[in-house]
Amino acid sequence: MPPWSDFEPFVVSGLALGGVYALSGVGLIVLYRATGVLYLAFGAAGAMGALIAWSLQRAGAPGWVGWLVCVAFGAAVTLGYGMIFGPALAGRDPLVKAVATLGLTLVLYGVMDLLWTTSGGQSRAITLPTDGSGFSVGQVQVNWTQVIGLAAGVAITAATGAFLRYTRLGTAMRAMANDREITATLGVPVRRVEAAAWLGCGVLAGVAGILLADLVALDATTLTFLVVSSLAAVLIARLRSIAVTFAAAIVIGLVHDLLTPITSLANYRDMTPFVLAAVALLVLSRRTVISRSREEY
Amino acid sequence: MPVPDTMGPAAATGAAAGRRPSRAALTRACVIAALLLLALFALPALLSLYYVDTMTQVAVYAIVALGLGVLVGRVGLVSLGQVAVLAIGAWAAARLLFATTQPYPVVLLEAGLITMVAGTVIGLPALRMRGLYLALITLMLAGAITVVLDTVNFPNGGRGFLGYNGSAVRPPPIRMPAIAASDTGYFRYSVVVAIVMFLLVYVHIRTRPGRAWAAIRQSEPAALATGINTTLYKLWALALASFITGVAGGLLAGASHYLYSIDFPAQNSITLLAVVLMGGAYSMWGAVVAALLYQFLPALLQNWGVSADWLTILFGLGVLQVLRTAPAGLADQVPRDLARLGRMLRRRRGVPRPGEPAVTAAAAQQPAGSDPR
Repeated sequence: MPPWSDFEPFVVSGLALGGVYALSGVGLIVLYRATGVLYLAFGAAGAMGALIAWSLQRAGAPGWVGWLVCVAFGAAVTLGYGMIFGPALAGRDPLVKAVATLGLTLVLYGVMDLLWTTSGGQSRAITLPTDGSGFSVGQVQVNWTQVIGLAAGVAITAATGAFLRYTRLGTAMRAMANDREITATLGVPVRRVEAAAWLGCGVLAGVAGILLADLVALDATTLTFLVVSSLAAVLIARLRSIAVTFAAAIVIGLVHDLLTPITSLANYRDMTPFVLAAVALLVLSRRTVISRSREEY
Repeated sequence: MPVPDTMGPAAATGAAAGRRPSRAALTRACVIAALLLLALFALPALLSLYYVDTMTQVAVYAIVALGLGVLVGRVGLVSLGQVAVLAIGAWAAARLLFATTQPYPVVLLEAGLITMVAGTVIGLPALRMRGLYLALITLMLAGAITVVLDTVNFPNGGRGFLGYNGSAVRPPPIRMPAIAASDTGYFRYSVVVAIVMFLLVYVHIRTRPGRAWAAIRQSEPAALATGINTTLYKLWALALASFITGVAGGLLAGASHYLYSIDFPAQNSITLLAVVLMGGAYSMWGAVVAALLYQFLPALLQNWGVSADWLTILFGLGVLQVLRTAPAGLADQVPRDLARLGRMLRRRRGVPRPGEPAVTAAAAQQPAGSDPR
């Protein structure tokens, strides 16, 4: 077992990673509760936005243009998909809706592989101005991007919680999560509320894309499938609670990075989200309820 | 998937045992026999070695697609981890082929059984979950299996339980069956194994398990209420799918000579689900169509110098299209549309066929010639 000082830097990176997973997870949950769609193309939308930002930066555009375009791209793709396929599949099973977003994932993934060929061995990186500067806690260097990662996770979780609790739109979303038909009967503009949820989720996809491209790697495959880690957090929260998602995401990020210095386990650290989610689900789903309702238990 | 309830294998009810085969059934059997003879004898003679190898992969992946088709189309369990199951089968077969001198069919059988046990043990707890949760848990488990395979690697003739020798400069290839040591021979061998697997699934679908699966897919509470042991039959489907996928893994081990964990990335499971949905999860032809989409088209495009990424995009669009408009996939849609086109042409020429209604629901559900059941 390596000494504690070896672990310290990984606490920082783990918290940052967990923060971004939390942000992604919150986006996924809000969309799922409002529309019943588990948006599996979340990672792909962010990844493509980040690749576009990278191309813009290389073409000489100032950095902030790239970041804005990345967020705007995530939002546009997500909203566009939601507007076209959301209503068409609205009455279908959650599973069908989720599989349909896999179709979008494949399309985005194919386009990314086509335009930003990965086989050339050329490595790309996005650097944010916050990478260079930072401060140290004890002997551990902390850069501002890591602070932003964690802070964004905390802020988005808190803000979304407040938004759902106190605003009109948030109340409408919670009502839709309970029952779409009754909510529509009450005069809530269902399509508009859904559009808002799609847009919000897309913005978060773009933000997560740019942060993960900096914190992890700018690579289409990696970023597309990093969504699985946030998905694990969402599953642990049973597609329901924002607070549990946040906690689970932080734990997943921390455990993943803290395994790095342990040589015998380092190779297996990528299993963290899978194992945690599988164990949590199996423990949580000990009671089986068979019902005809669309709600899954 | 519970959605296309109307399209399901209500099939099992129609087949009264001992009934004399109708003309349509005879024609269908003749067509299948002719296609098989063509595949076994004409194809290897007509195709270059490149395409013979490709068709071997098609035969292997037809079995994998059939396994996923049983889960998705018959029982309504969506698995996003079939490529990981295939990798388990390939690993077990490679290990056995290096360790023993057993004949090839025995190894295939053992690889299938090992995969069956692994798949069932992993799937048993997952079966508590349904629908979306089950799909996601299979995605997670497949991710975990992929990480493990990345670390332990595939056997390459080394010692120990894992059989991997990291410092081997020139590892020996995985052996092929003595009776099918050439590429053409191995292709025929794979087709024969695929036929056996298809027959195995066919028998299941036509008998008690098939009827139970159809009931479960329509409505689990209703199936339970009629006294069907839903857990048993779901597990049965999982075991059958894992078994044939494991056998396919064994075939793949011999076909590729060397196995690397990079050949089984987790994202391929998603592409596999996409092609199975596109091909048609409700018919056995769908599995063949899916395998052609999944293995033959990329090989064709590579030969033409077109990037395979276009296919990924096409598969993505295909999934969206299938889920929106054609739940039974190409295997159902193409014959139906062709029949419709034929009717339109006849009508254009002013030769109305007697008793020809507009497309009835029944005609749409049971297109002649597209249904192997």
